[in-house]
Amino acid sequence: MNRRRFLRTGAAAGIAASSGLGAGLRNLYAFGGQAPNLAHVEARYYKKLPDREVECELCPRKCRLGDKERGYCGVRQNDGGTYYSLVYGKACSINVDPIEKKPFFHLLPGTSAFSFATAGCNVNCKFCQNWEISQVRPEQVRHVDLPPEAAVAAAEENRCRSIAYTYSEPTVFYEYMFDTAVLARRSRIKSAVVSGGHINPEPLAALTKVVDAIKIDLKSFDPAFYKTYVHGSLEPVLEAIKLISKSPVWLEVVYLVIPELNDDPSEVRKMAGWLAREAGPDVPLHFTRFYPQYLMKNLPPTPVSTLESLRRTALAEGLRFVYLGNIPGHEGENTYCPKCRKTLIRRNGFEIVENAISKGACPICQSPIPGRWS
Amino acid sequence: MPNSKVVIVRVPNPPKRPGDYDPKTIDRMYGLGLRLLTGQAAPAEAIRSVFSPSDRVGIKVNAIAAPELSTGPRVSLPFARLLSAAGIPPRNIIVWDRTNRELADAGYKLNLESSAFQVYGTDTAGAGYAGEPTQHRGIASLFSAILTDRLTASVSLAVLKDHGMAGITAGMKNYFGAIHNPNKYHDDHCDPYVAELSDSPPVRSRHRLTILDALLIQYHRGPSFNPRWAEPAGTLVFSLDPVAADAVGWRMIAKLRAAKGLPTLEEDGRPPLYIETAEKLGLGHSRESDIQVVEETVG
Repeated sequence: MNRRRFLRTGAAAGIAASSGLGAGLRNLYAFGGQAPNLAHVEARYYKKLPDREVECELCPRKCRLGDKERGYCGVRQNDGGTYYSLVYGKACSINVDPIEKKPFFHLLPGTSAFSFATAGCNVNCKFCQNWEISQVRPEQVRHVDLPPEAAVAAAEENRCRSIAYTYSEPTVFYEYMFDTAVLARRSRIKSAVVSGGHINPEPLAALTKVVDAIKIDLKSFDPAFYKTYVHGSLEPVLEAIKLISKSPVWLEVVYLVIPELNDDPSEVRKMAGWLAREAGPDVPLHFTRFYPQYLMKNLPPTPVSTLESLRRTALAEGLRFVYLGNIPGHEGENTYCPKCRKTLIRRNGFEIVENAISKGACPICQSPIPGRWS
Repeated sequence: MPNSKVVIVRVPNPPKRPGDYDPKTIDRMYGLGLRLLTGQAAPAEAIRSVFSPSDRVGIKVNAIAAPELSTGPRVSLPFARLLSAAGIPPRNIIVWDRTNRELADAGYKLNLESSAFQVYGTDTAGAGYAGEPTQHRGIASLFSAILTDRLTASVSLAVLKDHGMAGITAGMKNYFGAIHNPNKYHDDHCDPYVAELSDSPPVRSRHRLTILDALLIQYHRGPSFNPRWAEPAGTLVFSLDPVAADAVGWRMIAKLRAAKGLPTLEEDGRPPLYIETAEKLGLGHSRESDIQVVEETVG
């Protein structure tokens, strides 16, 4: 079975499933006592301290670690005073996805993204939908060896126009993502990053030079929410959005609306206004529907009426492309021309039903539609 | 009247390395410590006052800093033999930690045969972690199935060490090795996480005894082995109160740091606040006035 067939016939889905995603760890974390096949590639963005200690400089946590200790992410370890990535080239979830699933709505619509993740995350959202890979250590999930060159080759063989670094938190596999993106660009494959934005400015600035698009999950506009439900901080995420918006990288923002926790209209109004001012009115904002997950199974799904109301609020704040997600078939999935209101891209879930954008513009009024369309 | 008892047993002129101890010395330390702790006349009676013959007892060791600074077989197996001698079948005694590799690095010979003590890690086929996280206060973790499915009683046999984040690591923090995501609980000096983990039903309902392996104390720059700041202390610490055991462990480290001219953990900005938090959760006593400390030296 060649690699394309491997991916398309479900073997890749098998890896994704066996990585967690519903299976739990009981039968997965069972390697019969054999040493797990972890990577040992020196990390970037850390400093060495006396007595074999290190301080990670990749994300705002700045984990200070003694010998043999791991960072909060669980995938970077100090061994003898040198900091290592344990997940470089170790993909635990691999799929060929529609780019709309990320979601990117203004990036190569209707194309496939070769998508992969490693274990680990540098926050711990109580509503994480992929917690069985994001909240575990690499030795606790099955993974396959997929070095950067193999990832790019697999993307080409599967006719993917992009590679998406997704599912968990690509910041924690930064070196792997970075090197893959460099190779992908040489093969004219775009790189799309799906991130929570909890990353320091220096590594993010370097990343924007090698990737093409970044989607940031802005989980709330309230610092207290970040502390309580994300175990992270809001401020670095806002700084990341500002930095990306000033770079050549295409930016989209997702806001998962959780009933009672981050659906306050006044807070969303502030968030949308801030986004319009700091990142510009052309940044697509996706309000996505929450479904009970992980540690928040006690909450109901977000009412569709709440999402619709928040969409109107964000449009009123000046954002020109505001979408609704996780509601297949809803009109809020479509792209409309901000000037003449023509429906430009009609979507049904991850499917493109119609795409009328021509040369990056509305075919009726010729208004340019921002995005990376080809 | 003190509420909790902590027994400190020492050997004179301790060897430099835990691996160099005469097994008979370790046996004598256990015998003395358990008798003083329980007030029973013999070690077997002492064991029976804490465990029942029908218990399935786990000895949670700490093999993470193997080989130099871990609870190796020379320390844990004598205690397992005491359990067995007191009537607990060997098949119901499990020496365990996170991974088989770490156990092997610490000198253990893995064993799954029921004719002898079981020795294996959570990553053993058929063990693993629970499928769903247990939520308790600020903790949300998958617990080792060894703890939740196979044990009715637990002993935390932990190395006493300085810890760069928690201040110290001792009996309570040893249970970080019973969950899948300990890296998520290092913020704020591991406080309140260490205490909340000890308070969680899987741990609190099973924990019976804390034994601190202080044969070699890493009193600075822990938790990994750093010989410059490791003191051969020749000590085992026993308590039925997990908070009192850790509180006394902190004082032992504080004493060593003072003797070596090092700043206190408070001055270093990392006092083990989780101990006081654990007391507030009702897990035991941390104040000196509430703890009866009994110190003896084996001949």
